[in-house]
Amino acid sequence: MDRKINVEPIARVEGHGGITVTIENNEVKEVRFDILEGPRLFEQLVIGKTPEESVSISSRICAICFLSHRLAEIRAQERALDIKIGKKLQLLRKLAHFGEMIESHSLHYYLLALPDYLGYPDAISMVKKFPQEVTGALELKKYGNKVMEIVAGRRVHGENLTVGGIGRIPTDEELDWIKKRAKELIIEIERGLAVWEKLDIPDYMEEEMTFASVWPEDGSYDFRADTIKISDGTELPGDEYKTLTNERVVPHSFAKRCRYKGRPYSVGAQARMLIMQDRLDGEALKWFKKYYNERWHKNPHYNNVAQAIELLFCLEHIPEIVDEIKKTPWEDAVEGRDSGKGTGIVEAPRGLLIHHTEVEDGRVKYADYVIPTTQNLDAAELYMRNAVENLIKQGAEDLELPLEMIVRAYDPCISCSVHLVKVIRK
Amino acid sequence: MGKPKIGIYGLTGCAGDQLNILNCEDELLKIFDIFEVKSFVMASRAKDESVPLDVAFVEGSVSTEKDLEELKKVREKSRILVAIGHCAVFGGVQSMYMGCEAWMERYKKVYGKEDAVTISPPLEPRPLSAYVKVDAVLPGCPIEKEPFLKMAGLLAQGVIPKNPDYPVCAECKWKENECLLLKGEMCLGPITNSGCGAICPSHNIGCIGCWGPIEEENFAAGIALLESKGYTLDAVIKRFSIFGGTERGEKLAKYIESVKGGCNG
Repeated sequence: MDRKINVEPIARVEGHGGITVTIENNEVKEVRFDILEGPRLFEQLVIGKTPEESVSISSRICAICFLSHRLAEIRAQERALDIKIGKKLQLLRKLAHFGEMIESHSLHYYLLALPDYLGYPDAISMVKKFPQEVTGALELKKYGNKVMEIVAGRRVHGENLTVGGIGRIPTDEELDWIKKRAKELIIEIERGLAVWEKLDIPDYMEEEMTFASVWPEDGSYDFRADTIKISDGTELPGDEYKTLTNERVVPHSFAKRCRYKGRPYSVGAQARMLIMQDRLDGEALKWFKKYYNERWHKNPHYNNVAQAIELLFCLEHIPEIVDEIKKTPWEDAVEGRDSGKGTGIVEAPRGLLIHHTEVEDGRVKYADYVIPTTQNLDAAELYMRNAVENLIKQGAEDLELPLEMIVRAYDPCISCSVHLVKVIRK
Repeated sequence: MGKPKIGIYGLTGCAGDQLNILNCEDELLKIFDIFEVKSFVMASRAKDESVPLDVAFVEGSVSTEKDLEELKKVREKSRILVAIGHCAVFGGVQSMYMGCEAWMERYKKVYGKEDAVTISPPLEPRPLSAYVKVDAVLPGCPIEKEPFLKMAGLLAQGVIPKNPDYPVCAECKWKENECLLLKGEMCLGPITNSGCGAICPSHNIGCIGCWGPIEEENFAAGIALLESKGYTLDAVIKRFSIFGGTERGEKLAKYIESVKGGCNG
């Protein structure tokens, strides 16, 4: 039987993507993750702009992880210009970054991913059966947003964190609220994590995968570093990121593609947790041990629960970050030079994010941005091909939902990389 | 009369405006109760594109032939079309070089060659109004929750809302902030649409202009004001162009040609 499956747009992802699968004589001819989000040419928009302007512009690449983009660009600029910042500002950035992880993971885990496993079209329809989980999700999301609002200036595209500085330092009252509320919300994410135990995790796509994430020099589980670690043991200095990413252009996507040693690799919460698992602690470590198994190395569905565990980790660590911020005195940044090259490496909620900049006389001369979803597209295509091949053998009729679930597991932020499933049976 | 039928759509952009609708955590369930949401792809797999809509909210700029095709379909079936966010209203940061013929040159620098990506022909980014009739706008990069809820409330009662026509400076004065321009900071408050609550100046950060140019802006006076604070024409024009959208971009291009020749790039 020939058929062509086309899911377009893919729902509950951020941005425009489509999946096209062509099947001829029960053989899979083609599996394509199409990216239809139009080109915006960000790497060209920042040319000639000041470092500060390039932060405001490049953070617009994505709404849901604007803060990661912002922090990546700030780090790139500070490295290019040799600007050294104080500990309090480092900690404030860390707090805002934890806020973004909580907001993004709660949105993705509960509102975008869980409805599929539980058989609902969306989270709103889940309210009757799972009232506590859905309202808990909204509370977590609201909290993450509030942290970003307080520290970064706005829920989306806040401008408070700048190159070498901050517009307004949060008040002690605001910081105390952030700490108190983090402790109160732990029960909500633990309720959400408990749902995972009852779910059937599909295995029709499994294949061993390479993972990559940041490798923080201070030995912590964190989302910023100058070193990248790959699951084959390789450690790369940040400015050698191209050894990992190897970007290329393909005709069916306005997002570029990445391969490491000729093979797809994955980034995201699952990658981080596999690479930094020895650095987990507290209740997050207990939940990781409870849910971890060898399938984590070959099945993208585990990215969803990794996000939920990471969310818990962030909530557990916010109180100590707040305490440290409060007791650390402010130091002004030390300004360096007005020309230079720099690479800013952070973890966006959906994975490794790289901003590289070259500045000459205070103006950006060259920019290169490597986005998490770009790095995950080849891995997603590989898993989709595996899924289609195995599901056809099993005689499955519905290919759309399984494929959409693979894509959604990657929590793709397609607007970044520049939404959808198309199965063509000929 | 039944519940008003609405659809929420996104063209090319960062999805920040749809995200800020999802960010109405306390009001989200109520929005889904007051309106019959027929399509909101970012939030739900269930959609029905076959019925006419009372209101369509569209974010994003038209940046591919496919965007344009979708916009035309949405326009045709919707009684009221609302452009939400800077990209839909003005064109977004991606349209900042409008008026400089160099778009395809920049495209080739990113993708290598003109036909490197064949999935849908790219178009130089433009706002919705460049192609279809737009009945109401809510600017902002991103839109904010309060103005959106106010707008949705009015639309639910069949009223077509109008965005305030005063600049960020008015909101900044209401907050009794110290004027950053008086301190010599680069602030675009005087020529930028209000609605954000003067959020950046309230954080001691000069307005970057992300709610777009106010109607009938006097940008020549704006340029003169910043030049008087010691900023170069080039620096001011670059800053003005970032959130200037296509309309200001074209005006800026003419202005630059008259004063120094060349382009805002």
